[in-house]
Amino acid sequence: MAGKSRFSASDRFEYLQGLVTEFQDTDSEEAKEQVLANLANFAYDPSNMEALRLLQVTELFLDMLTEENENFVEFGIGGLCNLSMERESRDQILQSGGVPLVISCLSSNRDETVLSAITTLMNLTTAASRTETTDGAVVQCMLRFSLTQNPRLRNLASVFLEDYCTQQQVDRAREEMQGQSQSAVGIPLPKD
Amino acid sequence: MAELVQLFALYGVIEEYRALDEYPAEQFTEVYLFQFQKLTSARVAKWNTDEKSFFGGQLHVCYAPEYETVEETRQKLQDRRRYVNRASQNTAKQQDRQLEESTESSSTDTRTAAAPEIQKGFEKARMENVNSDDMGFSVLPLTPVEDVSYRLHGFEQPLQLQWTTDTTLPTEDKMGSLHNAIPPVTETSKQCASSASYKKERDLIERQKNLSPSVRFMPRTTHLESRKRKLEGQAFFLNEAAETETLIGPKLPELPKVDMEDHSLNVTTNLIRQTMSKVTSVPEIKPVQVKTPTAKPRRRI
Repeated sequence: MAGKSRFSASDRFEYLQGLVTEFQDTDSEEAKEQVLANLANFAYDPSNMEALRLLQVTELFLDMLTEENENFVEFGIGGLCNLSMERESRDQILQSGGVPLVISCLSSNRDETVLSAITTLMNLTTAASRTETTDGAVVQCMLRFSLTQNPRLRNLASVFLEDYCTQQQVDRAREEMQGQSQSAVGIPLPKD
Repeated sequence: MAELVQLFALYGVIEEYRALDEYPAEQFTEVYLFQFQKLTSARVAKWNTDEKSFFGGQLHVCYAPEYETVEETRQKLQDRRRYVNRASQNTAKQQDRQLEESTESSSTDTRTAAAPEIQKGFEKARMENVNSDDMGFSVLPLTPVEDVSYRLHGFEQPLQLQWTTDTTLPTEDKMGSLHNAIPPVTETSKQCASSASYKKERDLIERQKNLSPSVRFMPRTTHLESRKRKLEGQAFFLNEAAETETLIGPKLPELPKVDMEDHSLNVTTNLIRQTMSKVTSVPEIKPVQVKTPTAKPRRRI
């Protein structure tokens, strides 16, 4: 594993910029998927986060969340999950009105998408955004996830409920759930 | 089994290990779970053992987040967040130092080395870094996956947190060998629903970097300036766009026009010229005067 000095900040920036350009210029869906996957991967490395922020890749990822292509959504939310770990990127996502889009990913068919969305919501929870990210519907959704067979889903949902919600919020959600049937309003569980 | 333990013990302290009978596996495949004390050990172990041959067979190593406890998940997330924020502070400091030291030209060599070819199945450009004193959430290069006999499952502490905090091998497959995971897609001329913001930002930054890409959106001020330069015969980049696009919006303020024939512009210049001519004219007389004294013979006392 090489040292950071191998690529300078401007090298990283230019390379990532090239990727963004390619994503925008290509018409091939498959190529877009590949580039998006790469960008989401690169978002894992903290030394790339500033460049990605400057290139407004957070916007790009957010745009992907409303796409029909499920791979686009999965990679988009994955990228956001990686980026949102960092404070400034998190703020950029919040400023772009990302919370509702991330919440919509909780109802995806895909495990990976839902898992990324839960983690991203955790990262996006600040004093200012708390009411949005721990909205009643979200808490209910997390309650249901915390009861599933899927251990990863169960774990993440439990952490969300324990660390990001108040006891009152959880109690209220539990009451509302008991008053409803499973098939009625609310966010459905993903297919395994 | 003992040999397996010995192998993985090389990478860090193992908290526990056991055979997994319930794990869905192929024929003639044994699955084991190894739980390391540290997440970093697990990452290194996976990187070094996955796809390696082992006593005639091959190891398949992946993370097992499904075997985590809630507390372990929580801890993993907290550690990751802490690491990222610390690392990005370090990066900012490093970049400040780099800006002070380096010049633009020095980046050309590394650029060719990092020449991006988005290849299917493999990520060549390696954004690798290592901070030996950090937790070491370093980005490991991705590897293609093959189907083989021994399937070894490890790592209570899931490692490369690519999409979520929980990662299993299939996800990495997608990253690495994307073309396998996706069914063939019909070519649709689908325009990416891209918002103007990241496009705009990109173009502005490209201008700063002196590249000439296919520019779709250009700030008006840049446009007007490039037109002016063209008129003065100094056009460079932004050529194509300048010809075709129509301008919308308020014009740039006009620069005050200067009358180049006005004599008031030459006052200072003339003063300097006069002074220079005075200064240069004096030495011509002197040599003539100097000669006569030296012609006098010296008297000896």
